[in-house]
Amino acid sequence: MQKSALHILLADDDEDDRLFFKDAFEEVKIQTKVQFAHDGMELMEHLMHPDTILPDILFLDLNMPKKTGKECLIEIKKTDHLKHLIIAIYSTSSSEEDIEDTFIQGANIYIKKPSNFNALKKIINEVVTLNWHYHTSGLNRDTFLLRLK
Amino acid sequence: MKLIPNFNSPRALRIIFAISIFILLFISSVSYKHNRDMQNSSKSMMHTYEINIQLERLLSFVKDAETGQRGYIITQNSRFLAPYLFSRDKVNRSFIALKKLMADNPKQQKNLKNLFDLIIQRYTYLEGSLKYSNEKTYDKRKLDNCMFGGRIVMENIRFQIDEMNDVEKDILQKRQKIYQSEISLTPLFSISLFLVALTLILLSYRQISNDIDRLRVSNKKLLISTKLMAESEVIGAFSTWQWDLDTNKMVYSDNQFRLLGYPPNAFVPEKDTFLNFVHPGDKRTFSNLMQGIIDNKQLPIIYYKVIRKNGEIRHFKSIGKLLIDEQGSKIILGITFDITEEHFQNIAIYERNKELEKSNKELASFNHVASHDLQEPLRKIQTFISRISDKDKDSLSESGKEYITKIGTSAKRMRILIDDLLLFSRTNTTKKEFLKTNLNDLLKKAEQELSEILLEKDATITSEMLPKLKVIPYQIEQLFINLISNSLKYSQPNVLPEITISCTKVAAAAFPNLLEQSIKKYYKITFTDNGMGFDPQFKETIFVLFQRLHSKTEYPGTGIGLAICKKIVENHNGSIIADSTPNKGSIFTIFLPE
Repeated sequence: MQKSALHILLADDDEDDRLFFKDAFEEVKIQTKVQFAHDGMELMEHLMHPDTILPDILFLDLNMPKKTGKECLIEIKKTDHLKHLIIAIYSTSSSEEDIEDTFIQGANIYIKKPSNFNALKKIINEVVTLNWHYHTSGLNRDTFLLRLK
Repeated sequence: MKLIPNFNSPRALRIIFAISIFILLFISSVSYKHNRDMQNSSKSMMHTYEINIQLERLLSFVKDAETGQRGYIITQNSRFLAPYLFSRDKVNRSFIALKKLMADNPKQQKNLKNLFDLIIQRYTYLEGSLKYSNEKTYDKRKLDNCMFGGRIVMENIRFQIDEMNDVEKDILQKRQKIYQSEISLTPLFSISLFLVALTLILLSYRQISNDIDRLRVSNKKLLISTKLMAESEVIGAFSTWQWDLDTNKMVYSDNQFRLLGYPPNAFVPEKDTFLNFVHPGDKRTFSNLMQGIIDNKQLPIIYYKVIRKNGEIRHFKSIGKLLIDEQGSKIILGITFDITEEHFQNIAIYERNKELEKSNKELASFNHVASHDLQEPLRKIQTFISRISDKDKDSLSESGKEYITKIGTSAKRMRILIDDLLLFSRTNTTKKEFLKTNLNDLLKKAEQELSEILLEKDATITSEMLPKLKVIPYQIEQLFINLISNSLKYSQPNVLPEITISCTKVAAAAFPNLLEQSIKKYYKITFTDNGMGFDPQFKETIFVLFQRLHSKTEYPGTGIGLAICKKIVENHNGSIIADSTPNKGSIFTIFLPE
C-alpha cells in the first residue's frame, strides 16, 4: 500500500485514550508509526522543532491542559510550514459549536471518540485509507463529521 | 374636545354697549333740547300774555280816567276826579312794565313809543276838556274840540294796542310753528332709537347669558380636570411646578409639597428652596443644572436624591420644558417624579438579572460538564467493557460474562440519558436563529435520519404539503425526529406503523385557551399514527420532563423526547397537544405561527 510506514501523531492528555489508540493501531495491522504528545504545549514544541519529521495525519484532542486543541489548530494554520498538515479532530465532544469552530479553522475531519474498541478500529481504518485529496479541499461541511456506516 | 371655549364676545359686547350708550346719550340730549324748547315756548307764550294783559290794563286806566272826567264834567263833583288823578301814575307804571317786556323787540318799542305819544295826547285833551268845561273858563267851541279830538285819539290808542297785540300774537305763532316743526320728528325718532338700543342691549344680554353658561360649563370642566390632575399626581407620585425665569417666582403643585414631606402650601417656594432638599451628594450637579436651565432655557431628564422633612431619602426624576406665554414671559414647566420604588425595583431586577446571568453561565458549564467531563469516563468504561468482552471473553466465568453485559447495558443507558439531557438543555440555551425554511425539507431530513429504523419497522409516512415558515431549522427537524420516532417506538406489534401528517391553516381565535392571541394565524400540523396509543388522562403529563408511561424494561427511554418537543414548539411561540385512543393510535398536534 504505502512505501513507508504511515506517520501518525496523536495529541491527547488522556493516558487511557493514548493506550486505546496505540492498541487499535496495532490491531488494524497497517504499517504505522504512532507518536504521542501529552498536551498542546508539547505538541506545538514538537511541531516547531526543526528536526521534527511532520506526521502524515495529526489526531488532535480538543480538551487539553496548557493549550487546547482549538488553540493548537489556529496556531498550526497560521504557521506556513504546518498549515497543510492533515488534521483530524479527535474529541469526546460532539457539540455543534466545536464541530463548527474546528471546521471553520480548517480541520479536515471531525471524529467523535467512540465508546467501543471495535468502533475505534473501524474509524482508524477509515481515516488512514481515506482519499485525502477529497477531504483537503476543505469545502465539504457534510462529510466533515465522520460517521460510521 | 376643545378645552378652552372661544370667548370672543367681549369685543362684540363692548361695541354693542358703546353703541347703546351713544344712542341713550343722543336720546337724552334730544329730550333735553326738546324740554328746553318747550320751556322757551311756554315762556314766550307767558310773555305774550303778559304784554297783552299789560296793554289791556293800560287801556282800562285811560278809560277810567276818561269815565272819571266825564262824571266830574256832568256833576262837577270833585269825587269823580280821583280815578283821573290816580290813572296817570298807573299808566306810567304800566309803561315801565311794558318797556321792560318789549326790550328785546325794537318794532314793539317803536309801537310803544307811538302808544305813549297817543296817550299823552289823550291826556292833553282830557286836561283841555276839564279846563273848558269849568264855569270860570267855559268855552263851548274849545270843549267840543277837546272832546271830539279825545275820541279820535282814543280810537287811535285802541287801534295801536290792537296792532301791538297782533304783533305779539304773530311772534307767538311763529315761535309755535318752529317749535311744532322741531318736535314733530323727534318722538318717532327717539322711540325707534330707543328700540334699537333696547334690541342691542337684549342681544348682548343673551350673548352674555350664553357666555356665562359656557363659562360655567368650562369652569366645571376645568375644575374637574384640575382635581383630576391633583389626584393623578397623588396616585402617580409626581408633581408639577412652574418657574418664571423673569421674575424667579416658583409655583409648586400641592403634591410637590407632599413629595417633600410637607402639607400643601406649607411654605412659599423660591428659586433656591428646592436646593435645600437635594441630597448633599447631588447638590453640586443640581445647582449646575439650575444654572443650565437659566442659560439654556431647558431641563433635560435629571435623576437625584432628596431628603424629606423627616430625613427620609427619596429618589426623584425631573424634566422640564420652556414655555413662552402670550405676554412673552419665560416659564419653565416641570414635572418631578418620585421614583424611589422604581429605583429599588430596578436594583432588584438588576440583581436578579445578574443572578440569572450567573445561573445561565452555570448551566452552560453544566453543558460542558455533561458533554465532555461526564461522557469521557463513561466512554472509557464502555471501551474497557468492549475490550474485556472481546479479548478476555474466554477467561470469564458465566456470571462474570453476565455482569459484564449488565454493566454494558447500564453504561449505554447512562449514555442515552446524558445525550438526551444535553439535547434538552441545548434546546433552551443555544442561540435561536430563525430562518425561512421549507418544512418539507426538514421532514425529509428527519426521515433520512430515521431511515434505518423506518426500514426495520417497514413504516410508511404520508404527508401533506407543509408550509415555508420562519423557524429554527435544526430544532424543527429534531421535533419531527422525536415525534416520528415516538410513534415508531410505540407501534403495535404485528401492525405496520403508518404515520399521517396533515397541515391546515387556522385562526388563533379558534383556540383561545391554547394559542397566543396576538398572533392571528397558525399552521396546525398533526401527526396521526396507528400505534398502541395511551390513556388520554396522561395527555398532558407525557410532555413533562422524565415522565414515562411505561417501565424502562418494556420500552427503553429517558422521558425527555416529548419534553424536548414541547420546548421546541414553545421556542417558536407555538403549542403542542396530544390525544389518543388506546390500541387505535395517537394524534400529536403542533401549532406554529404563520
